[in-house]
Amino acid sequence: MPISPTEITALITLASIIFLIAPLFLIIYVLQYNRKKKKHEEEKVLLLKTLENELLRTQMEVQEQTLKTIAYDLHDNIGQLLSLTTITLSSIDLTDTDKAAAKIALVEDLTSRSTKEVKALSRLLHSEELISRGLFSAIEFELEWIKRSDRFKITFEKPDFDSFVTDSSKETIVFRLFQEIINNIIQHSKATEIVVTLDKFEGALRLNIQDNGVGFNVDETLKRKNGMGLYNIKKRAAIINGTAIITSVIGTGSDITIIVPY
Amino acid sequence: MKLITPNTAIEFACFLAALLFLYKDKSAAWRLLIPYLFLTFVTEMIGLYMRLIIGMSNLKVYNTFLILECLFNSYFFFSLYTAYKYKLKWLLIWLGFFAAMYLTEMVYNGFKGFVSITATIMSVVFVLACLYYYYLKLKDEQYEPLLLSPAFWWVCGTLFFYFGSTVCNLFFDYLSNQSVAYSRSARYAIFIMLNITLYSCWTLSFICRYRQRKLQPSLH
Repeated sequence: MPISPTEITALITLASIIFLIAPLFLIIYVLQYNRKKKKHEEEKVLLLKTLENELLRTQMEVQEQTLKTIAYDLHDNIGQLLSLTTITLSSIDLTDTDKAAAKIALVEDLTSRSTKEVKALSRLLHSEELISRGLFSAIEFELEWIKRSDRFKITFEKPDFDSFVTDSSKETIVFRLFQEIINNIIQHSKATEIVVTLDKFEGALRLNIQDNGVGFNVDETLKRKNGMGLYNIKKRAAIINGTAIITSVIGTGSDITIIVPY
Repeated sequence: MKLITPNTAIEFACFLAALLFLYKDKSAAWRLLIPYLFLTFVTEMIGLYMRLIIGMSNLKVYNTFLILECLFNSYFFFSLYTAYKYKLKWLLIWLGFFAAMYLTEMVYNGFKGFVSITATIMSVVFVLACLYYYYLKLKDEQYEPLLLSPAFWWVCGTLFFYFGSTVCNLFFDYLSNQSVAYSRSARYAIFIMLNITLYSCWTLSFICRYRQRKLQPSLH
């Protein structure tokens, strides 16, 4: 049966309408995709802002930690030395020249030790500068400081390369992670031995810290309020695209590994 | 009064919008829209005058206008692509191809009929040009608020017009030969719809361009 002109015209009209609807959907698709692009861009900005905020907080915490160490050292170490110097000086009897000479020699020794302590403290005050010289040097310096207390046997396996990133903000955050882990060990672990290892692992830097302390239940600690420290370690590692693997056995000690991609 | 139709009215309104919003524009392509829209309106008026008042064929007028339409739209698309390092040689190749196609069809028709095949192929090329613009926008990692983008609305209008008119162009001969008033009125209604869509989108693009120019004085 032949198609009438009216039918053909209706068909053309219908086809034209369909040809108008098709670009409409295409335009809607382009606009939707563009909206997603905007959302993605906003997320990127937010991530960058979070990183900046976290970096700022980390820098402040590093400073705070330094000041705390200085306060403890002034009180426990230099303070004691100076008190002893004062007591020794006040006990000098100038008529007894032999004893006085011995006491002056002791004061000289005490003063010399105080000077050394002050110099060491001064170096510690430049901890931020230390990070700028490299993460490995900063870790080494921090461990040297802890070693002085003779509370821990410290083993540090330094990598055979100098630095792992050009991004100093990443180094600062890794250094703060290291400080937090060491602080936890000093305060809670009752450990006698700390082993710190730094090496390369599948295009990433691996920082491993082990201790032989009392250990803890990782899951329970993370759930509890006092697990904020551990939670922060995991969160901060994630901010620099890294991971924190925390394992611990009660009575044997703990093992924390931070893996940060280059 | 016969010369005032929905098509001429919307064309004139769009020309006025172009005149109002683009006369101080720094870009030559955007400024060229003013004379182009004016010539479109004049062509439409002459076409109507010849058909309705004098009662003679107006195909020659539309054949001539097709050259202007191709030149302007091709140049405008080229100006949109320049930000993406598009090469001039592609524009020249296309214009060369169009010229050859146009002349061949004119000779084939004996300089009498409308160059409908050339018009259809030109529509397809402009549809592809619009799709290429969207492809560039999707590929571009930089976010741009498209609803406020003059180029986006210009391309939208162009896509609607050329994609929507493809069917009518393909069946141009059939629709022209039908004496049934219904066939002619259907084609007329489709083109009114297409023209309203095209010129509305273009007017919106002029407003966006004006807004952009006011916010970024470097576009003056």
